[in-house]
Amino acid sequence: MAAGLRAVKRWGLVAAAPRLAFTRSASVVKKANNGQPSWLGVGMAFGTSAAVWAFLIKEHNEDVMEYEKRKQERRHKCTGCS
Amino acid sequence: MAFLPDESRSLPPPPLLNKGSVWLGFAGWLAALLDNAFNQRPVLRAGVHRQVLFATLGCFVGYQLVKRAEYVHAKVDREMFEYVRHHPVDFHSA
Repeated sequence: MAAGLRAVKRWGLVAAAPRLAFTRSASVVKKANNGQPSWLGVGMAFGTSAAVWAFLIKEHNEDVMEYEKRKQERRHKCTGCS
Repeated sequence: MAFLPDESRSLPPPPLLNKGSVWLGFAGWLAALLDNAFNQRPVLRAGVHRQVLFATLGCFVGYQLVKRAEYVHAKVDREMFEYVRHHPVDFHSA
């Protein structure tokens, strides 16, 4: 019976207090404190968003202008100089 | 091949808010909301800067992807019409 109990404990079916249960891990986790926002992070997020929107709107306007320009060029080439 | 070759600029650019950019922007926003949920923060009211950033990046990526998709479709259409033009015998409408 003792041998059977030993085997069961090895299988983890009988809870035994873990002695010297070291786990080696390189990661360290801090509990996140959401009560005090990191204003640097907030500023960077909003700043990046503003920059990306500005770039996107600029790129769109440039695309429209380039398309119109090429359309004019194509029409000019086809009909010739009138 | 380049993501957006120069000839793609001869195509009419898609509107700024199109299917792709709106959908991916929404997906980005949803990702921020999910992040709130998984970290046990109030879902809509927390991390507005994060919601805005993710939605913005989603819109940006969506816009670029839609431009590329339209270019690929236009290229394939052009090749198809060229083929039809060069093989009229195969495309007689009975």
